Amino acid sequence: MDFYFGLAQTVGIHTLLGLSAYIVLLTGQVSLAQAAFFAIGAYAAGMLTVLAGWHVVPALGAGSLLGAVTACAVGFPALRVKGLMLVVATLAFGEGVRLFFFNFDYQVAKGGIRVGPLGGEGFRQIRFFPEHGWTTAEVMLFIWVFVIGVMALLWWLDRSRYGAVLRSVGEDEVAAQSVGINLTAVKVSAMTVGGAIAGVGGGLYAHYTTHIEHANFNVLLATFAIAYPIVGGLRTVFGTLAAVIFVQAFLVEGLRFLGDWRNLLFGALIILAMNLRPHGLFGRHGA
Amino acid sequence: MIDFLQNTLDGLALGSSYALLALGFTLIFGVLRRANLAYGPAIMLGCYCATWAYLKTGIGLLFLALIAVAGSTLAGVYVERLCFAPHRKGAAAAAMVASFALWMQFEELATLALPRHLYAFPALYAGGPLSLGRLTLRVESLVMLVAAILVCAALWRILYRSRFGTAVRAVIDSPAAAELSGISVSAVSLQVFALASAIGGLAGFLIVSGNEQVTPMLGMWSTLKGMLAMMLGGLGSLPGAIAGGVALGLREAHSQWYLGPQLRDFIAYLLLFVLLAVRPPWMNTRSAY
Repeated sequence: MDFYFGLAQTVGIHTLLGLSAYIVLLTGQVSLAQAAFFAIGAYAAGMLTVLAGWHVVPALGAGSLLGAVTACAVGFPALRVKGLMLVVATLAFGEGVRLFFFNFDYQVAKGGIRVGPLGGEGFRQIRFFPEHGWTTAEVMLFIWVFVIGVMALLWWLDRSRYGAVLRSVGEDEVAAQSVGINLTAVKVSAMTVGGAIAGVGGGLYAHYTTHIEHANFNVLLATFAIAYPIVGGLRTVFGTLAAVIFVQAFLVEGLRFLGDWRNLLFGALIILAMNLRPHGLFGRHGA
Repeated sequence: MIDFLQNTLDGLALGSSYALLALGFTLIFGVLRRANLAYGPAIMLGCYCATWAYLKTGIGLLFLALIAVAGSTLAGVYVERLCFAPHRKGAAAAAMVASFALWMQFEELATLALPRHLYAFPALYAGGPLSLGRLTLRVESLVMLVAAILVCAALWRILYRSRFGTAVRAVIDSPAAAELSGISVSAVSLQVFALASAIGGLAGFLIVSGNEQVTPMLGMWSTLKGMLAMMLGGLGSLPGAIAGGVALGLREAHSQWYLGPQLRDFIAYLLLFVLLAVRPPWMNTRSAY
């Protein structure tokens, strides 16, 4: 049973990552910086529980806030570029953050051992859950409370006036601007919300794996983050959830019996999905 | 002073490999207006084909180079047909995700064929470095530099002095108008993909034989460096790609010397982010070649 709980944890965390890219994609921006906000949330929340002895919930809140602040700060300069330029600018930012953590040492001695992030070695012993005796099932439920909360929030946002504004910017910036929509405010706020979601996801990730290192947050993770909403389609948040289940549960775990040949089929199935449904599995019909 | 000159020389050599990678990227981006994440992994696959052939048969360098170029070209054609041909109109994001899926496939293929993380590759030149006064230059670097210049010259000849080149430039200018005047956009983009991947394969071969080793990381590395060099030179300009590659190489060699390898990349990426956000005037020109 623990296997399924573990799988549900992975799906939950990747859903948060995908949703953080979803809201940014609604405004038509492809951002490869989501892994960086995820990393910031992971390191911040981990340091707060391990070094400062906080409870995990406020630590997640702080990680999320830091992710949001960073995303907001990135949102302003990144606004000036579009399309591939934005992809590369956010990629550069993401790699910059990853390399920051690669060089980041902050260790203190605690109970005879030194804990905290140590550059390339990574950040070990983020043991809040085992120390407080949480079982796998409880951790899974804890993660899913956040996933469902974020999904409900985004679902509600999508149906609000704000959601319509986000989508109008994504469809046609000039038209949106001509009816008096403030592009800066819309894009930066979407980026900020995305950063907050990625920050929560990162904090949860740090606590359930107990060991994080800079290499976890590379371009591959950033690409996965934008791939989920694109594969799932941008019509509703459930598309992203479905894509995460499709990728993590079906392609990664379900095809494990294929052993080393799994990734070949993985690639082929994503290609097939994108060619048959270019707007995502649950996106609108037609090309 | 001598350090500065030596760094400049090293940077030029490094930059010429980036320039070759950026040239291939720019060709693809110019014709398709799509980001091809599988560009580097296709090069990596070509180099793995060459490594595999070397381990099985031990054939000479010239054959290995041919195999690397042929392998990369085939992989590139595969990418174009699967990821970009179906999404020529609209769905840019779908094409990008599809090319990401092929990246995963290529890495898997490479590690299935050769499961160790690192393989030795025969050196391009066994002797020591050349010395020019107090400066030294590796022969591999010199070969890279000469190859970059030759490829640029050949590419210029193809693009500006042949019917195929005219068709390519027409498609870059306006795919719709090119289609109307009887150019097959589909065929041109396939050919450009093959050409760009062949250039990438050559660059990949020179890089791995210069480093005397090959790892699956080559794929991500090539995509990153090629994309960055292309950006620095302004999107979609061939002279810009060369300038961007050389600038990236110079910058890396100098900051390595003054800041050390750890800080080097960190500062590089932050600078690049700022540069892209500020967008100096040469980056705004979307001049077609």
